[in-house]
Amino acid sequence: MDRVSTNMSNNDMQYYLRMRNSEMNDLQNKMGEQTRIHELRDDPVAAAHSVRYLSKLNRMQRYTRNIDSVLGENKVAEGYMKSANNILQRVRSLAIQGANDTYTTGEKRIMGNEVNELLNELVSIANAKTPDGTSMFAGDRTHTEAFRVLSSHVPEANGNVITAVEYRGTINSPKVEISDGSYTDNGFAGDRIFWAEQQQIIADKDAQRYVATADSRIRIDNAYINIKAGDNVYALIAKINNSDAAVKASIDPVKNSLVLETTTPHQIWLEDGKGGTVLKDLGLIADTGKPPYNINRDAVVGGGSLFDMIINMRDQLYKGNTLAIGSSGLKGITQAQDNLIGSISKLGAKNERLQTVSERLANEIPEVQDRNSKETDIDMTKAITDLKMLEYTHKAALQTASRILQPTLLDFLR
Amino acid sequence: MQSTFTGIEIGKRSLVAHNTGLTTVGHNLSNASVEGYSRQRVIMTAYDPIYAPELNREETPGQIGQGVTVERIERVHDQILEGRIVSQASGQGYWNAKDKYLLMVEQVHNEPKDTSLRTRLDQFWSGWQELSLHPEETAARETVITRGKTLIDSIHQQYNGFKQIRDMVEEDVSATVKEVNSLLSNIGALNAQIVKVKAMGDNPNDLLDKRDLFVKKLSGLINISVDNRDPDEYTVTTGGFHLIQGRVISKLKGIPNPDDEGYSTVAWAKSGKEAYFSGGKLAALLDLRDNDVKKEIQNLDTMTINFIDLVNENHRAGFGLDGKTGLDFFTEYPFVNNVAGNYDRNGDGAFDSTYLFRITGNNSLKPEDQVGLKGTMTLSGPKGNISIDYFPTDTVEDVIKRINMSGSEVVARLNKDGKLQLKASAAEDAKNPDFVIRHVEDSGQFLVGYSGILINSGNGGAYNFNQPNAVALLRGGGLRYAVTPTLHPAAWLEVNKALQENPDSIAAGFGVNGHPANSGDGSAAVAIAALRNSDVMVGKMPTFDDYFASAVANAGLKGQAAAQAHDTQDLIMKKLYDLKDSISGVNIDEELSQMIKFQHGYNAASRFVSEINKMLDTIINRMGV
Repeated sequence: MDRVSTNMSNNDMQYYLRMRNSEMNDLQNKMGEQTRIHELRDDPVAAAHSVRYLSKLNRMQRYTRNIDSVLGENKVAEGYMKSANNILQRVRSLAIQGANDTYTTGEKRIMGNEVNELLNELVSIANAKTPDGTSMFAGDRTHTEAFRVLSSHVPEANGNVITAVEYRGTINSPKVEISDGSYTDNGFAGDRIFWAEQQQIIADKDAQRYVATADSRIRIDNAYINIKAGDNVYALIAKINNSDAAVKASIDPVKNSLVLETTTPHQIWLEDGKGGTVLKDLGLIADTGKPPYNINRDAVVGGGSLFDMIINMRDQLYKGNTLAIGSSGLKGITQAQDNLIGSISKLGAKNERLQTVSERLANEIPEVQDRNSKETDIDMTKAITDLKMLEYTHKAALQTASRILQPTLLDFLR
Repeated sequence: MQSTFTGIEIGKRSLVAHNTGLTTVGHNLSNASVEGYSRQRVIMTAYDPIYAPELNREETPGQIGQGVTVERIERVHDQILEGRIVSQASGQGYWNAKDKYLLMVEQVHNEPKDTSLRTRLDQFWSGWQELSLHPEETAARETVITRGKTLIDSIHQQYNGFKQIRDMVEEDVSATVKEVNSLLSNIGALNAQIVKVKAMGDNPNDLLDKRDLFVKKLSGLINISVDNRDPDEYTVTTGGFHLIQGRVISKLKGIPNPDDEGYSTVAWAKSGKEAYFSGGKLAALLDLRDNDVKKEIQNLDTMTINFIDLVNENHRAGFGLDGKTGLDFFTEYPFVNNVAGNYDRNGDGAFDSTYLFRITGNNSLKPEDQVGLKGTMTLSGPKGNISIDYFPTDTVEDVIKRINMSGSEVVARLNKDGKLQLKASAAEDAKNPDFVIRHVEDSGQFLVGYSGILINSGNGGAYNFNQPNAVALLRGGGLRYAVTPTLHPAAWLEVNKALQENPDSIAAGFGVNGHPANSGDGSAAVAIAALRNSDVMVGKMPTFDDYFASAVANAGLKGQAAAQAHDTQDLIMKKLYDLKDSISGVNIDEELSQMIKFQHGYNAASRFVSEINKMLDTIINRMGV
């Protein structure tokens, strides 16, 4: 049997009361804060998980905002593209009407006037601005009008009318992150959307003997192709055809020069990398000018934009050239419309993807929140019963103490 | 012949003895709640009886008892238990201090909450995302600046939090050293007194209690062992060194160490040599200061320096709305470094080292390419250099992984252009500078011609930090390396003033094919925002998420371990003290019954004396001589 000294019961009492007090305090703090992890030590592993979950939540909320923003802009753009399509539809029906010899030249001129008005409208659609005031169809050159208009006098029209429309934007579409490491384009290159025919560039220089003299890099559209010293024109053609660019290269059978042709209707952007002269040496581009208006003067460029098609149609209507209206004119309009509808459906597909990602995020956010709450949140029922239990034992301990600590022999001595 | 007054003499002895007993009971009762007091017991023994076997003894049957006497007053005390308490107290002192300060460290992390540094960093990345949506807007740029500033405030705050803890620990170290010294003086003085009292044949019970108490207190501060085999020379040692030998004591002192930001080294006062402790509060404090808290600061520095470097690298390559390029987003202030990383390490006025944090190669590599080369890279490690082999069939990614797993203090990654980067991590050994690449060597061509870092392979072409102008051994030159800041990166960081004044200079785009970025180009903003979850190597941690998760888990686990050990030690100590109390503690009931016993003894002795008195009265007064 252990001997019990007077201080012992007192010390014990203090020790256990202190422990219980600290437990109660801890539990109270956790209940007040609504968390299981008041200090990291309460559950370090859960805290580490929670930190990841919280960051992930932050990130997913950010992605949701990104998607919303892109979707919003895409919707506006889709609206513009659809109204452009409606206009093209009207031009098309005018063309079909005009390809008919029952209408007089005067009537065709009136049709031409209508097409001219529609052209103006199309140009203003192509130069549309986003709600933020930036150019919608100018790639990443958002502070510039997407298309520049050249006007001059056409004999049949009253005053100056549009005779050429030049793309001033870029083909770079800014990227936006929509989930970890996955991106979507946020921007439209006008010379892809408002284009009609396949473009061809036929150089005037015999390329048969061409050999690259130094390592360099060329840019075709958004693809970069590395050229090694010693590459001849065939190696170059193979590299171009294997690249990401929607461009096909070949040799002109007559001139033996390099020919580039698009595989989807768009304008070709050509540029030599810093210090390189490959495309220049091949007679494709000139010394000066920025793409896409840096093509060598001697090279033959074929294939036009949507605006070119409409300008052509208008001019044919002005001239009353029934045959041209019905054949090349109508064909051009159809091609422009096909391309535009293709762009609209591509945009639709993109929006669908964004919607899917957005829905997935919407599902995932509550899931991650749930997981985080499982790691960190306090189980209130358990906490309250635990606290009650502690209270109960605390009371019992105090009561016991009041009985045991008081009486000594002194109470009974007289 | 027996004396007439023997009876009175016996009665007197009894009275004195019981009186002593009563006094001791009183002493025990009075000291019942004195810390370290051991109850005392009066050991009574029968007085030497007569007659001793001598020739002149009286021929009478004997021996005749001569009453009682107090032999000695002793304290009830267990020496072995005392030894156990002394050896356990150092554990309690150690974990108590660790627990307390580690809790503060956890609180500085401020996780998992939405006011933590990590949340600010998340918001910073989100700001760049916003800019990537609206690269042409100044408002989005203002957001990036504000979030950057808030983030930096958070980094400073966390740094200051850790720094303050470290300073508090330092103050505690010097206070503890003082406490140790004063305890040593007290014990030394007591030793002298005890020896004197013992020489007189007395038991210095109260002095011994006091000394035991001081020794217990001392053992909570440092690990000690006590040797009391020699009654004249009570000895206390720590780790084989004498602290106390009788009255001779060896004191400690703190010497500020200029190599460690002025934090003091605990040394022996006489020899000035560093003292080492394995337990007790002082050991915990030194460990906290030089290890736990220092590592936290190092980790924060690692995160900060990598973070700045990554953001700046991308930002410099981008173009602002106003066409400006080559600007850093974050600047270290004040910037006191030599551009070539030259540094005067020993402070003799001449450059003797090169401090580089990052070296970038010249060539663009693809992670999936096979290197087709064979060789051995040698990189600086925590204890000497570490060799890493690579073989022709390895891909670039394999080699990078091997570098990062090798345990060297250099990590590798490919940057956004596919260029190989070597980055220094914090140094494990305090003798090595933090965030400095100390050695890069390759017997083959991987780090040489293939990635374009070193000019020559082999030992001759090795890059070594302990020479000035070591950058001459690197291929890149110019902006291909980053210089190590000489101060804590987490303490001296700011958003570039030029950007604060003109937010339009914040770069959002990289531009295409070498042309400046257009207004709608958000590629740089996207690239910066993407840093958050790409493998950027924050020290040994692949991503920022990994860094924060590991920092939190680390601090929490350390705290948890300390709390548990502290609880265990407390319980052990409680049990030991209970045991001690059970043996040495005063029980009032017991003392009161002792008191009653002595009281009755005293009363009985008085009655005896008065009976003898009556007998003598009969002889002297009534016999009528």
